[in-house]
Amino acid sequence: MKHEIIIAILLAAAVLVTIVSMVGVLVMRDPYQKLHYLGPVATISAPCVAGAVLLQEGMNQAGVKALLVAGVLLLMNAVLSHATARMARIRDLGAWEPQPGEHVMEERAHEERPS
Amino acid sequence: MNLWLAAAFVMVLALLPCGIVCFKGGTIGRLVGLEMADTICVLLLILLAEGFHRLPFYDLAVGLALLAFGGGLVFVRFLERYL
Repeated sequence: MKHEIIIAILLAAAVLVTIVSMVGVLVMRDPYQKLHYLGPVATISAPCVAGAVLLQEGMNQAGVKALLVAGVLLLMNAVLSHATARMARIRDLGAWEPQPGEHVMEERAHEERPS
Repeated sequence: MNLWLAAAFVMVLALLPCGIVCFKGGTIGRLVGLEMADTICVLLLILLAEGFHRLPFYDLAVGLALLAFGGGLVFVRFLERYL
């Protein structure tokens, strides 16, 4: 009975995070802003679903595959988000590297570093 | 309908906004919508596999997760250089 309650909580969290992220993707106008909402689904929903499957099935074939999928989604989200943002910047500016006169965080960090 | 299928039903509803983004957004926004739909579909397949107690369905989720990764990278590469 306790397991079922925990499974219900995990699934509810996964579904809620997915819906909120989906609304974020729908509402945001800038593609860079939309990209941020890909993260919670892969980093919160997927582990929640995998955890619920593990609680239900134990460490058998289904549990291992659910864990594998959660791991692939975590990795995939990080790489794809970066690649998509990089692509968007290249399409906008023609190059990935900082443009002349562009103030980037690395410069700021360099300025604040004590000498 | 058990808990897993109920969660899967809500996940299917979450795919509708992905379709709206894919139809109405700009080029990059559409790709973001597609990536979101990929992730949701993977989770949906896991929920359906558990809801119907069909172990082979998990292989579909694993396959889709891997293919969505490769497919997304191919789309990104083409949009970056050729399209």
